[in-house]
Amino acid sequence: MEPLLRLINVKKSFGDVQAIEHVNIDIHQNSVIGLVGGNGAGKTTLLRLMSGVYRPTEGSVELSNKRPVSEMRSVLGVVPESTGLYSKLTAWENIRYHSRLHGIDDQLAWNRTYRFAKLLDIDESLHRYTEGFSRGMKQKTALLRALAHGPQILLLDEPTGGLDVTSARTVRQLVRNLKNEGGTVIYSTHHLAEAQQVCDRIIIVHNGLIQADGTPDELLGLTNTKTLEEAYVLLTSETARPRMEDTEQPSNISKLWRRLVTPSTKMEVNEDE
Amino acid sequence: MSSRKRIVIVAKKEIIEFIRDWRTIVALVLIPLLLFPLLFIAFPIVMQNEAAELDEKTVDILIQSDDIESTLVEMIENQSAYITLEPLSDDLTTLSDSENSTEQLRNLEYDAILRIELRNNTWYYAILHLSTSEQSNEARSRILGVLIQWEEDLTAQRIESAGLDVESTLNPLQWDGIIADGDVATKGEQAGMILSLFIPFVLAIWTASAAVQPAIDMTVGERERGTLESLLSLPLSRTELLLGKWLAVVSITAVGVTLQIGGLLFGIAYLASDFIDVPSLSIGAVLLLALAVGFYGTMIVALYLALAMRSKSVKEAGSVLTPITLAMIMPILLTQFINLDDVEMFWFGVPFVNVLLGLRELLLNRIILEHVLVWVFVSSLVCLLTVRYAAKQFHREDIITTKS
Repeated sequence: MEPLLRLINVKKSFGDVQAIEHVNIDIHQNSVIGLVGGNGAGKTTLLRLMSGVYRPTEGSVELSNKRPVSEMRSVLGVVPESTGLYSKLTAWENIRYHSRLHGIDDQLAWNRTYRFAKLLDIDESLHRYTEGFSRGMKQKTALLRALAHGPQILLLDEPTGGLDVTSARTVRQLVRNLKNEGGTVIYSTHHLAEAQQVCDRIIIVHNGLIQADGTPDELLGLTNTKTLEEAYVLLTSETARPRMEDTEQPSNISKLWRRLVTPSTKMEVNEDE
Repeated sequence: MSSRKRIVIVAKKEIIEFIRDWRTIVALVLIPLLLFPLLFIAFPIVMQNEAAELDEKTVDILIQSDDIESTLVEMIENQSAYITLEPLSDDLTTLSDSENSTEQLRNLEYDAILRIELRNNTWYYAILHLSTSEQSNEARSRILGVLIQWEEDLTAQRIESAGLDVESTLNPLQWDGIIADGDVATKGEQAGMILSLFIPFVLAIWTASAAVQPAIDMTVGERERGTLESLLSLPLSRTELLLGKWLAVVSITAVGVTLQIGGLLFGIAYLASDFIDVPSLSIGAVLLLALAVGFYGTMIVALYLALAMRSKSVKEAGSVLTPITLAMIMPILLTQFINLDDVEMFWFGVPFVNVLLGLRELLLNRIILEHVLVWVFVSSLVCLLTVRYAAKQFHREDIITTKS
């Protein structure tokens, strides 16, 4: 079966920093794929490459049937880690804004939204401003927004991060429902247990490289371990690098200015004491 | 879906979100709309009240003289003044010598001191006062008023005693008719002359200041709130995103500027119609005015959006755009001092200054083709460059986590 989305030998660098290298991933329909890795592993960079926010430095990201990459954003639904909701708009206005930009009729978007809102138990809050929403409600609204135009692939960046147990469970349930309806979900998380519960394929990312890609059983077989945690520790034994944001350098003028206005804080150890 | 539709969707959402804050409505609608009418109403009221208050005040005047006429003292007394008379001091070098009297004025013992002395049939005088005190200025002005009247009477008496006609001797040259009738400029043109100093100023200052907040909010503000990433993953090009945001900022700024200029014209037409008329402009001048305003708005907003998008944070964007807004006062000041009758062509090639100069000319209903061609060409070029610069910033890959 032809994959829906392919990442072919993708490399992404920011200046001198290699964010990810040698990435080859095929995303097939009707699957939930977990991107698992620690902070700074490259999960978010991978998701941004898939959503077209970043362009690969080398390699390519391709859609099935040789459709142009410009079409990619139409078939994707994206929930970034920050949820990205406008606080002065209601939940429905947030959803409608995105669906309109997808070219979807308001009535059609509303029908889809209401159906999923019922499942997520947020239907009563659709006409409320998102300003006072809890983290869980924001996450659910962002999910509804990503689903309103009927995407073929749903990209979720840490969708249960900061959620209470019940909300996290509801989100996982929704992901499984989507899969049962033939949908495709790419799910980034750093919780192995969660990935094991939700995903039928796990990709372990570490220091910008794909360390392993397969079903939970395949990963256990590959590492000859009994638990996924053991497998993960074995595959990511190399010291983790800092997060990409931490490696960003200020401009030369800023560096020079800071040097001029920062008094020395160096101290010497008094070994006599 | 067409690109135009997507741009409008972005702009509409930005405007809705912006006006949901009531403080924005106050800043965007009420202040610009009411500023000039309130100024036109409040200024005359305050000035009249202050003048009436001063008129009612009794001032303390010290007259130092050895030979002052009683009629002059009475005339000053009739101006609500308490008079104290004392002889002139002998140690004065001139009557203006204030050394001995400074303290009397500074400690407000007297509001003014009149020194007057008759030498060889000529009266010499000096008025000492404290120019930083309103009451002292008022006392001085009352004394001067009386002295002018007294001088006129004295002059008339002396002319008459010499056997001459007072009127033809004092005014051998006189204007015939009404002075204002000699100005061939219509009232509308005169109004245009006054407004050509006002409107470019209002337009430039208001555009530069009103665009700052929305430009920051819709770019780096959006990034800080984490809403930009989800937007960039939509089927919307970055140029469309820029144009949508540009349209929103321009619309918001245009509403503010239009209301402020509307308020100014309303104030002129209904509240200050005794002093100034509504300017008379041809259709061509009005259309070119709109074009000039469009250029100015495009340049400013595109520049602001670009610089705000380059900034790492809302705070940094504020630090960058605030001095730029203040710097915008420079071209405004320059254009106020340039003489339009003898303006050099190169001024119409200086970005920002040229549009404001163009506005001044158009408000005078002057359409000088060479000037218009130069400012239209240069402004089009600068617009293109600023929009391209803004587009470049919006196309940066790192705008989600921007590091400039």
